[in-house]
Amino acid sequence: MEKLQIFDKNSNSKNTNYINQPDTPLAELDKVIPKSCLRENLPLPNLGELEVIRHYTSLSSSNFSVDSNFYPLGSCTMKYNPKLNEYLASLAGFTDIHPYQNADCIQGALELIYNLSQALSVITGMKRFTFQPSSGAQGELAGLLMIRKFHRINNNQKTKVIIPDSAHGTNPATASMCGYQVLTVESTKDGLVNINRLKEIVDDKVAAIMLTNPNTLGLFEENILEIRDIVHKKGGLLYYDGANFNPLLGVTNPSLMGFDVIHLNLHKTFSTPHGCGGPGAGAVGAGDTLEDFLPFPLIDKRGDKFYLNYQVKNSIGRLKGFYGNFLVLVRAYAYILRLGEQGLLRVAQVSTLNANYIKEKLKNQYEVAYPKRCLHEVVFSCQKQKERGASSLDIAKRLIDFGIHPPTMYFPLIVAEALMIEPTETESKQALDYFIKAMRDIDKEIDQDLAKVKTAPHSVSVKRIDEVKAARFPNLKWEKSGD
Amino acid sequence: MPYIPHTLQDIEEMLKVVGLSSLEELYAQIPSSLRLKKPLDLARGGSEFDVKKRIEELAAKNITLDKYNSFLGAGCYDHYIPAALPYMLSQPQFLTAYTPYQAECSQGILQAIYEYQSYICLLTGMDVSNASMFDGASSLAEAVLMALRMTKRKKVLVAEYLHPEYKETLNTYLSGFDFTIQQVKVADKGILEKDVLERYLDDDVVCCCLQSPNFFGLVENVERVSNTVASYGAITIMVTNPMSLAILKEPAELGVDIVCGDGQPLGGSLSFGGPSLGFLAARKKYTRQIPGRIVGKTTDKETKPAYCLTLQTREQHIRREKATSNICSNHSLNAIGAAVYLSLMGQQGMKNVALSSFQNTQYLYQRLKEIRGIKIPYSKQIFNEFIWEVQDAAAVIAKLYEKNIIAGYFVGRIFPKHKNAILSCCTEKKTKADIDNFIETLAEVLHGETTNI
Amino acid sequence: MLKFSKSHEWVKEDAAIATIGITDYAQKQLGDIVFIELPQPGAKLQKSEQLGTIESTKTASELYVPLSGEIVEVNSDLVDNPQWINESPYDKGWLVKLKITNHSELNSLMDESTYRELIAKESH
Repeated sequence: MEKLQIFDKNSNSKNTNYINQPDTPLAELDKVIPKSCLRENLPLPNLGELEVIRHYTSLSSSNFSVDSNFYPLGSCTMKYNPKLNEYLASLAGFTDIHPYQNADCIQGALELIYNLSQALSVITGMKRFTFQPSSGAQGELAGLLMIRKFHRINNNQKTKVIIPDSAHGTNPATASMCGYQVLTVESTKDGLVNINRLKEIVDDKVAAIMLTNPNTLGLFEENILEIRDIVHKKGGLLYYDGANFNPLLGVTNPSLMGFDVIHLNLHKTFSTPHGCGGPGAGAVGAGDTLEDFLPFPLIDKRGDKFYLNYQVKNSIGRLKGFYGNFLVLVRAYAYILRLGEQGLLRVAQVSTLNANYIKEKLKNQYEVAYPKRCLHEVVFSCQKQKERGASSLDIAKRLIDFGIHPPTMYFPLIVAEALMIEPTETESKQALDYFIKAMRDIDKEIDQDLAKVKTAPHSVSVKRIDEVKAARFPNLKWEKSGD
Repeated sequence: MPYIPHTLQDIEEMLKVVGLSSLEELYAQIPSSLRLKKPLDLARGGSEFDVKKRIEELAAKNITLDKYNSFLGAGCYDHYIPAALPYMLSQPQFLTAYTPYQAECSQGILQAIYEYQSYICLLTGMDVSNASMFDGASSLAEAVLMALRMTKRKKVLVAEYLHPEYKETLNTYLSGFDFTIQQVKVADKGILEKDVLERYLDDDVVCCCLQSPNFFGLVENVERVSNTVASYGAITIMVTNPMSLAILKEPAELGVDIVCGDGQPLGGSLSFGGPSLGFLAARKKYTRQIPGRIVGKTTDKETKPAYCLTLQTREQHIRREKATSNICSNHSLNAIGAAVYLSLMGQQGMKNVALSSFQNTQYLYQRLKEIRGIKIPYSKQIFNEFIWEVQDAAAVIAKLYEKNIIAGYFVGRIFPKHKNAILSCCTEKKTKADIDNFIETLAEVLHGETTNI
Repeated sequence: MLKFSKSHEWVKEDAAIATIGITDYAQKQLGDIVFIELPQPGAKLQKSEQLGTIESTKTASELYVPLSGEIVEVNSDLVDNPQWINESPYDKGWLVKLKITNHSELNSLMDESTYRELIAKESH
């Protein structure tokens, strides 16, 4: 049954009474503000609280989520979101502080941010962190603008940024937003950056290379130090997209790998919930070269007092009002304290083990795109299945009937019929075995009952969505019926 | 280990399947020069009991706003949040889902976001809203980038009384390009005037950005601004407080092309300023320039109504370096929160909150005017905040802090023209007694006694 | 008689006016077309300049003009009926009419059999 929209459920209930009537003297709006500036009507529905709760409870119940389903969405690190962190992020001591209160009132908040920055420095080897960026993409923007300003101050004439063909789409989009031309470097047949090709295209116009390591194929860029030398030699810098940092916690770090500036997605590696698409947080860490270019303000300590430091020598400026997605930081900090040094290493190891286990168990049914040992995620190509009639999209949709959220599909772009699977460390062997069985069953089903795969899903309230209609005839907001 | 369910036996069995004998061997391909030689210099992991206590202690070191009689606003507003709202947002199937790429198992998220988009359109009068941005400041920056893509012009005008942190953010976002940003001075009344604006306008101007109510709370004459701007072929971008739209005219009716701002007033907690959400809505003709995700209503293959992410060719995962923005993650949960808040409050509740905030602010304005030595530079054509001036404002703020009153945001640090000004705000949470207490204490601080006011 | 470009546009010339569209092969490669953006009549374009943008749900591509000239008519019905490009690429799905400025450019275009050879190669 179609779920009515909230606007169609207007019951004219006006008894919600959440606030007091004001006891200050009446002020007449239209005597103070010209009528031409006032609105004539406010066409919002009025509903009772139970009606609202039922509406949104019903909407929430029709989604797959980490708490209800295995969610092996590649490159998104859909690990378990600890409930302690939710409790802590809801403490009034964190939710009821205003960004413009005196520093004396917010010492706990500043201390938490400071401690988180120190912990991330230990984990990554980078010198200093900002938490202003709200997401990985905004972190990339911060990092690339820092690189841009560095070159400008040093009078380096740089126009280009190099990005591998396996990269996340945010990388080239960010480079464009910083006014750079994007150069793509191809991958080798092993799935790593093609070093020979890189040597050819790196010249002194190259501002930076943006890399994810392990890359989006889940493979470790073994030649990273050679890449660093090639790029640094021509005066370029290295940007680390930390979207895939999870399998390297405590194993290696981006500073050792030679990166000058990095971002970490706290909503991936550090377990903060994804909230239907956000909010997350993109912590940006800089090494010696770029430390002075971080966005202001930074949190510093004088004696035993914490304060907001606006004196950042070559700062690129601000990327956001106030100080960042603070409540996300609370969660990430709690996660680090819970796991500690041994726990973080175990996170890395088990996330890698889980992915390799899936790879091993499915390699006879599904073609492994690149045979090298993978880290936290594995990419299969469903070419063989496609030849038998079912695309990776069909297989992904059929997984929904097994109660499993589909993996990332058709990405990275260099793999035909890609399915990119990232189980994370928080999934048990039993959960993986269930997934493996589902994938094998679907593979058999392609020969036995192809139609069932091609028309999946069958177990949720809607069939496959007509995305063509959605794009051809955009219906992007509710209209009063009869309009 | 917390959150990792594997037994040692599981690990052994799995290693055997993979053909390895230890977890260490999983990393054989990483050159030893890159390996950390010793464990991370962090404490051992704590029990839940310990970590809870440690972080509760940090929370307790903060002095929450409710311990004060506070008049802080300046872009982050202390409205009442119905208990049902955080309850709803903690539903696991909202909280722990990701972007609804797979529409068939994300219909509830998609419908909730579609309703959010619809609410933003109802409030602003616009045709299209996206599924949310990070915050007000970055949504302004993205709105300007949108405008810049549509023309070859190079000059961006920004009203003087726009939130200073929004202006800083805009500067940062545009720093990769050779565009000029020019600040348009306000006239004596604290708002933009046509004749002043015309001095800045020419045929190289892409857009004019203004905030209304502006940073000092004044309601701008937006229509006059947008008409003037349009006569030069440029577009008008307006930053607004969505709560003010419960009583102020829809920006679309005022000739605005793109409207954006911070959604925090719609049920968001203060939370030291984040996460909130940014909203961005525009006229239909700009649809394909809008950054970020957009949800559309369509049908499934059996023609049953359904929702999905749409117009995705604008976005980074398809168009890469030619995308309208690099934005990927957004603030969907906060957007859904805004929709739940609007549903709970309803038309009546929204009007009540906006009108109460307005009325309380007018009362504060009136009472401050009565105090000797206080100057209010601008008119009372305000929504929920305004600036007032007093000798040595910083010292006055500090003295009031001691008496448990936060007078407001110190303007002087940012606006040299108003070096002794304080921006004070009232929401519906303020009572007459709160305001009287503020006034009486202020009078006492300034003149030593209360009867002297 | 139709002529074809390497970037998969077709051209039909009639009294110095060229009608231009995309080929059946091109529409199949793109998939379901959902949006098209074309220039205004009066626009003067050089051969190989960008003519517009065409989008399916999964990809966005640039269109190029195979001949120099001035746009004299645009198929504005496509804005509301982008599916015509899929359903009828050589007829209802035409894109623009262009007044040819350099007739010799027509000679650089392929005839049907050459074009067929090209797409046979591309699809392998």
